[in-house]
Amino acid sequence: MDFLSFFLMDFVKQLQSPTLGFLIGGMVIAALGSELVIPEAICQIIVFMLLARIGLSGGIAIRNSNLTEMILPAAFSVVVGILVVFIARYTLAKLPKVKTVDAIATGGLFGAVSGSTMAAALTLLDEQSIPYEAWAGALYPFMDIPALVTAIVVANIYLNKKKRKAAGASLSKQEYSSPAEEYTGTAGAALSPAGAPLPVGTSFNITGDSPTAGTSSGSAGDYPATRQEYRKQKSSEDNRVKIWPIVQESLQGPALSAMLLGVALGILTRPESVYESFYDPLFRGLLSILMLVMGMEAWSRIGELRKVAQWYVVYSIVAPFVHGLLAFGLGMIAHYTMGFSMGGVVVLAVIASSSSDISGPPTLRAGIPSANPSAYIGASTAIGTPVAIGLCIPFFIGLAQTIGSN
Amino acid sequence: MAKPAKKLVIVTEKILLKKIASIIEEAGATGYTVLETGGKGSRNVRSTGQPNVSDTQANIKFEVLTPDRDMAENIADQVAVKFFLDFAGMIYICDAEVLYGHSFCGPEGC
Repeated sequence: MDFLSFFLMDFVKQLQSPTLGFLIGGMVIAALGSELVIPEAICQIIVFMLLARIGLSGGIAIRNSNLTEMILPAAFSVVVGILVVFIARYTLAKLPKVKTVDAIATGGLFGAVSGSTMAAALTLLDEQSIPYEAWAGALYPFMDIPALVTAIVVANIYLNKKKRKAAGASLSKQEYSSPAEEYTGTAGAALSPAGAPLPVGTSFNITGDSPTAGTSSGSAGDYPATRQEYRKQKSSEDNRVKIWPIVQESLQGPALSAMLLGVALGILTRPESVYESFYDPLFRGLLSILMLVMGMEAWSRIGELRKVAQWYVVYSIVAPFVHGLLAFGLGMIAHYTMGFSMGGVVVLAVIASSSSDISGPPTLRAGIPSANPSAYIGASTAIGTPVAIGLCIPFFIGLAQTIGSN
Repeated sequence: MAKPAKKLVIVTEKILLKKIASIIEEAGATGYTVLETGGKGSRNVRSTGQPNVSDTQANIKFEVLTPDRDMAENIADQVAVKFFLDFAGMIYICDAEVLYGHSFCGPEGC
């Protein structure tokens, strides 16, 4: 009963808080067809400011605390990040009409962390004056990178296995046609129901129709042969998944580099004055603008999500709670053994329940190109993030208050 | 004198920018121009006016001048085979006559 009242109170408070208010506001005006546009450059600077602020406060906190406290929560973050991908691999991927690659990519995105969700949670914890370790924000990369790396590695292992099976079962001709079929079956059908096979057809006709017979080496029959050579080159490259480039790519992503820069500056320099006069006061205002954009983005993605399997909707509602509870449980272990604060446990749970919207999608798009972005970005941005911000944050704060008050 | 050339145009997703740029350079082209674009294709409407948190949805357009058709086709094939099963893209070729362009025509000019 206690828990329910805490949750409801937090939920109502959250509804009135600028964070969720702006998020819903963004969805409403997007639904009404508003022409409001927040320039992309502003979104980028906002993301930078928010994460630099979180990084700075984390760095300052790390300088003033002992690092051994961080080890267990950081290890748990890694564990959660990896587990989330495997949960998706063995639940979502098994559901009907869900492609395994799409499911793995979705898992990776839900395992990765959203800076805006984390910022919203930290704001709410501050508002309710629940203490948490200031370095808790620095757990971000410990969950983000393992999740993305695991997703890309698992997906590539799966794809290679499938490719090898296909190569063993049939001749190269069929191998050539099968990815095209798969492609039109999912992305094509999802994005353009009217002319599903069009993208493949057009792109290949353009190059394929070109009259090579007169110009250079040999006949038009040369063309498929060279394509297959390219394909073979490509598949031999793909057979070995290199982990370091993925880590590098996520570290170089805008969100993580801003935050790690903040952490480094917080540890190495004395940025308190600029932090107090610039980054900290602007934090909430900028967060509200970002939330507005996220709301508009969420609404514009719902349409895309509708075109993929409905199971994504179920997954993206349930998954934030499952992942968050998993992290909450592990956080409680740290709470009882190492004295990790309840606020910190909430932060850990919230970053687990969040799904990346800034740095995750491009990394996955590049790492698992055959996965359908409508599926994973739609699931994450349209439903995952609103659920994480609107429901999961008050849920975990309520849970922490219930346990803490006993 | 105008120097005849081929203009290869590649419209695709911004995420591929670096990879396609390296393909073009490896093929031996002296340079290329990249523009940010939006528009409607068979895959989706891509406009710059949508609220966007990430860059993944943006499109770009490469324009490459090549001295002959072979180089253009080589670039087009590599790009199409590597990316166009999984990414949105469109490639076309035009005839061009280069009037000025030092690096393209050579030290004597066109």
